[in-house]
Amino acid sequence: MKKALLFTFFGVFGMCLSLFAQDIRITGKVTSAEDESNLAGATVVEKGSTNGTQTDSEGKYSLSVKSSASVLIFSFVGTLTKEIPVGSQSVINAQLSADTRSLEEVVVTGFGSQIKRDLTGNIAQIKSKDIENMPVASVDAALQGRAAGVYINSGSGKLGEAPIIRVRGSSSISASSQPLYVVDGMPIISGDQSNYGSAMNPLTDINPNDIESIEILKDASAGAIYGSRAANGVILITTKRGGAGKTKMSLNYQAGVAEATKRVKFLNAEQYVDFYTKAAATRDRISGYETDDPDSYTQYMIGEGGFLDYQSFDTFTNGTYKNYSWQDEAFQKGPMQQVDFQMNGGNEKTKFFISGQYYDQKGTLIGNSLNRMSARLNVDHQAYKWLTVGMSMGLSRTDNRRLPGDNQFSNPLQAAALVPLTPITDPNTGLPTGTPPGDVGLPLYYNPRISIDYSKFQQIGFRNLTNAYAQINFSKDFRFRSEIGIDLLNQNEEGYYQTQTLRNVSTAVNGQGDNYGSFVTNYNTNNFLTYDKLFDVHSINLTAGMTYQESQRKVNWIQGTQFPSDLYQKIASAATKSDGTSTETNFRFLSYFLRANYKFADKYLLSVSGRVDGSSRFGVNSRYGFFPAASAGWVITEENFLKQVDILSFLKLRASYGLTGNSEIGDFPQLGLYSGDAGYAGAAGQRPSQIANPDLKWELTHQTDIGIDFGILNNRINGEIDYYVKKTSGLLLNVQVPATSGFSTQVKNVGKMNNKGWELVINSQNIVGAFKWNTSFNISTNKNKVVSVPEVIQGGQSSMSRVMEGQPVGVFYTVEYAGVDPANGDALFYKNTENPDGTIDRSTVNNANYNQAQRVAAGNPNPKFQGGISNDISYKGFDFNIFFNGVTGNKINFFGVGQYSSANGIYEDNQTVDQLNSWTPTNTNTDVPEARFYRGNGNQASTRYIYDGAFLRLRSMTLGYTIPKSITSKIKLERLRVYVSAMNLATFTKYKGWDPEVNSGYINSGWATGNDFYTPPQPRTILAGINLSF
Amino acid sequence: MKYIKKNSYLLLFATILLTAGCDSKLDVLPTQSIDENVALGTSKDVEVTLIGCYDGLQDADLYGGGIQVTSELLAAGTELLFGGTYSNLLELYNKTITTSNTTALSTWTDSYNTINRVNNVLSALSVVDEEKRSRIEGEALFIRGSLYFELVRLYGKTWGDGNNATNPGVPLILTPTRVITEENQVARNSVAEVYAQAIADLIKAKAQLPLSNGNYATKHAATAQLSRIYLMQENYAAARDAANEVILSGDYDLEAQFSANFFTFLTNGGANPEEYIYSMIVTQQDGVNAMNTYFGTTVSSIPGTSGRSDIRISTAHRALYETGDVRGTFFITPSNNTFTRKHLDTFGNALVFRLAEMYLTRAEANFRLGTVVGATPLVDINVIRTRAGLAAATTVTLPSILKERHLELAFEGQNLHDIKRTRGSVGTYAYNSPKLILPIPQRETDVNPKLVQNEGYN
Repeated sequence: MKKALLFTFFGVFGMCLSLFAQDIRITGKVTSAEDESNLAGATVVEKGSTNGTQTDSEGKYSLSVKSSASVLIFSFVGTLTKEIPVGSQSVINAQLSADTRSLEEVVVTGFGSQIKRDLTGNIAQIKSKDIENMPVASVDAALQGRAAGVYINSGSGKLGEAPIIRVRGSSSISASSQPLYVVDGMPIISGDQSNYGSAMNPLTDINPNDIESIEILKDASAGAIYGSRAANGVILITTKRGGAGKTKMSLNYQAGVAEATKRVKFLNAEQYVDFYTKAAATRDRISGYETDDPDSYTQYMIGEGGFLDYQSFDTFTNGTYKNYSWQDEAFQKGPMQQVDFQMNGGNEKTKFFISGQYYDQKGTLIGNSLNRMSARLNVDHQAYKWLTVGMSMGLSRTDNRRLPGDNQFSNPLQAAALVPLTPITDPNTGLPTGTPPGDVGLPLYYNPRISIDYSKFQQIGFRNLTNAYAQINFSKDFRFRSEIGIDLLNQNEEGYYQTQTLRNVSTAVNGQGDNYGSFVTNYNTNNFLTYDKLFDVHSINLTAGMTYQESQRKVNWIQGTQFPSDLYQKIASAATKSDGTSTETNFRFLSYFLRANYKFADKYLLSVSGRVDGSSRFGVNSRYGFFPAASAGWVITEENFLKQVDILSFLKLRASYGLTGNSEIGDFPQLGLYSGDAGYAGAAGQRPSQIANPDLKWELTHQTDIGIDFGILNNRINGEIDYYVKKTSGLLLNVQVPATSGFSTQVKNVGKMNNKGWELVINSQNIVGAFKWNTSFNISTNKNKVVSVPEVIQGGQSSMSRVMEGQPVGVFYTVEYAGVDPANGDALFYKNTENPDGTIDRSTVNNANYNQAQRVAAGNPNPKFQGGISNDISYKGFDFNIFFNGVTGNKINFFGVGQYSSANGIYEDNQTVDQLNSWTPTNTNTDVPEARFYRGNGNQASTRYIYDGAFLRLRSMTLGYTIPKSITSKIKLERLRVYVSAMNLATFTKYKGWDPEVNSGYINSGWATGNDFYTPPQPRTILAGINLSF
Repeated sequence: MKYIKKNSYLLLFATILLTAGCDSKLDVLPTQSIDENVALGTSKDVEVTLIGCYDGLQDADLYGGGIQVTSELLAAGTELLFGGTYSNLLELYNKTITTSNTTALSTWTDSYNTINRVNNVLSALSVVDEEKRSRIEGEALFIRGSLYFELVRLYGKTWGDGNNATNPGVPLILTPTRVITEENQVARNSVAEVYAQAIADLIKAKAQLPLSNGNYATKHAATAQLSRIYLMQENYAAARDAANEVILSGDYDLEAQFSANFFTFLTNGGANPEEYIYSMIVTQQDGVNAMNTYFGTTVSSIPGTSGRSDIRISTAHRALYETGDVRGTFFITPSNNTFTRKHLDTFGNALVFRLAEMYLTRAEANFRLGTVVGATPLVDINVIRTRAGLAAATTVTLPSILKERHLELAFEGQNLHDIKRTRGSVGTYAYNSPKLILPIPQRETDVNPKLVQNEGYN
């Protein structure tokens, strides 16, 4: 769509210019300096005149100029402009080098596009080149660190899981804080559709290599056209389209291997025995047991036939036990491969783009894999001079072997907590320990390996993202565009648990099968008029239209037990159909929008836009909302007083203000409801399930953005600086109500929250010429503050996350750990209560009086700073890219793991090695309390488990070599490039857990982020690839 | 001009598309929930809401076993060993409860959620068919009365420990919630008021309930519950008479084999044994038995068993049984830990009352009062002893009666309350130690400043 518009733009421009008579005729060809491909639609202008033309589909042009003293200016979208003096030449060929940072770049806005220099809103653009061929399953992971103000946390190393994406901070609590995704003009399904494990990511269904560009609408001016859906930002994804000219075909293959980035050190067998012998003896002393009492903890642990004997297959007391590293059993090397095929071409009337991809990735955790087949066909056809039609269709099949939620014993990484004396393989059966006919009581907890070997959970999604458009040009200024789109997701999730998994799935006595079918349909239509006109120095652009969306989700589930044998795994063979359900939910949006852009003399820019949104989700008393925005820009370098300043090639001031909303509030939050899910002993029952609120509506965000766009040294260095303030009110909250009412919460529009931040983007062409070195750098800050909430909201791991006034959303709020009493090994906590004189009591209490310690704000899970820096270097055929990203100023809650595994031996769980430093009468200077078996001593929620989450990561590095054309042309190849690439090669952090980029899907409730719960780390992937173009 | 004419058609078409919106499209109703205004319109609607009350009562934190497990863990001294990883349970076991303890929270919120369901049923009795109305009211009141009794003895001081009229109990909510206002911030009623309400509900329930009622509450269930309340109040005569009434009804029989009281799903097809007066029914589709969850374990040789293996039975407890006592071998040691066999069945019904308790209550009350209503204490105790394979006793004393009760009803949820009413102790904690009382959940005191926290939790 973008290219089609461009051609129209340049076509109109070219037509106007060809009216003048000329003298010397020049012909030639314009090609790309990078891959020598023909550039169709490049502009050729005689300098200092309005005389010009544009190249045809083969990149050729012909132009008459006044004299040999004339200079030709060659320009093309996305390239550097080149000037060539005519002299005595009659054939002038020009090679244009890529310039992805040009201000003339076209940026997709909602329902239209604009040239970057004319933008008055804040839109971040990411081009295909920055995200292609990254070994990630979904495009959002590839965006990490690329755009200022856009925070992305992949959350978990499990494949296909939903990441956290925050555009300019969290602006919601109970409603979603994820942005709206729009693909080729259609809002798509982007929320979790999973019925198993943690939330999954529907964006996995989109092949990232099909994407031409991604625009992220960040401020109100850019977003208001999406009204009540734009407060969390809008991510516009535009897929590639064909171009006129020779048909181009390319083939890409890459293969590599992924490994988990890190292991956490746990006790080995000898350390474990030593540690727990002491911990049990200490507990006996406390509880008054003699260590030889059969009920004593010592006898329980190390006595003959006791815990350790049992766990070690009776090898403990006879001293023949060995050490086993259970954590290593959770991980595997994950090979990945990807094949891409792309073809594009066409003529002036019909253009097409075809692609196909096969992506196959094994997880770094056992049992985890994802594979996707996808195909796309995008066609544009100019039927008549006044009518263009087109269609895009993307199909995909995503097969994801998923893993259980982080909190399940069957989560492979929980194996890390098993006793290091327990053999991995049962010596009696040769099977994984705990597999029948061996003793199913072993190991300490369920062995996750058994679920990998004897159960499966497979999620297969079929996705069809199709849309069609017709564009009618009433005149060259005035057009109408009608778009209709369908997004279908048919997803089947099938699980089967064999008898061997009984310890984990207690109902799988004779096998258990689960089968879920999810059918999500999403229809959308956009119909809008656009009017573009240039009157002398006045340029106006008007867009007005409507959009309607209808979405439905249906889920069916059936569960069966009592299978004849594990060879039968379909529910047809289940003697007992043990459970099942079918559900449906719907929502609709009907919206009208308007936008007007005005430009005076390329100097003064003005834009107003607005949208009226109606939704089935809003209460009857507030069904429609209005979301207006306005923005202005001043291109100061167009003013005479700056035109003479050579060093400053571009300077624009811009400001915007407007309202956007968040309507991701669930489908029926406003109604007082009864639910029919309260059956008893086979009889149907109902219960009151929700208390009503007919006034319920969207959350409203007022956003102000002030920005500067600048270019220095002929735009070789350019960038943006922005400051924004987002004020969100009417926050939708599940307000806690006294449970004595029979309800726990009521959904209300209360609460206010602010986000403020700076963003800085710098793109620099450090060295130009044969040796090129470009740098892109972005850094941004975000300060989130909850201004008002009716009461504190608690959640997350052990209720340690909070929403409270004056603090950032999701702040960790817990008792402050004060270390260890050197005298007796007791864990100490600061009281932090208020004294009568208003001062804070900094005295400490021990474990027994933990309840007396006041909780305090103990860290922000949201980063204060985040950024990325990418360097591209190329010389001759070599190209090299290195990209770092990082965050700082955030904290991570390790309590999920820590309360069991870094808890100085409260349970039998294997401990992290730092627990060896626990207090003993001879080791009194430590911050690890005395180990007391089955007796809490500092294992309660406290700042002991809140860690710094800052990290800097070498996110990706690629080295490529393009074989010279002189060689490739002999084998009839347009281009041949080979490359090696690495992702997550190095991470610099102080975090003690597996990975500081963590957000356990088990705990994440939207706002309660930054929790680690045996959450697997991100993969480190190393791969090699080859790229062929014909 | 032709071009212009075509354009005007196109423009008309465009205008139609642009304005083709329809406001009524935005009226979308939920599909698996219904509006509260139509939920209680007919007799059938109220009847299914009553089923919803049982569903609430069956919750894993209420009579689905949570209330029973809480009693056992709080009462655990040296007889139980705890080896699980749920910190809420470990806190109960170690008597180091925090105000954020999730057991204290869930039992509270789930109880009041169920009470609201009951209040909805009671508010709509007028639409119920006349022949059913009395029974439905009785069932609803049985559930409400039972929950208030359980709440007041978990969250309040023991009856008689200080002044019942001023000791805080729990808030009494007797009407359904339709809107949330400041009035929902309620204060705690006194222990005496809550007991009075529970007794009033149960007496009315008893009067209106039928003698047999399928899976649902019966007259005898209400009577059995009353016997427990009176026993807590040391009103031995009333407790004795209630227990006696259940025994004499002849509607229940002691199982010949002690073990026949358990494994209701695995050996009895999900039906209650003859001895059960009331239980929460567990099926493969619905319901949970939290006693199974925490006391149970997976025993490979007995398919259909499961559990988290959290609560283990110590040698100290097992040493309490006399030789030959079948109850003394009703344990299993699949590995290095020993578990009770009472709660191994994954889908076993969650027991609330069985007839043996009525014999033990009648024996104790008769003994204390020096009466012989129904039977002598010795006869009643020997009914229990001979069923357990023991020789008949020749004399009984109060300690011997209480010990028999302890062994017979072990791990069935009675222990804490028996210790409290007999003024015993748990380890070094006296019966009235604040450590043996659950805190008002912190979440609740945060949103309702009128709730006074229990002693020891501030």
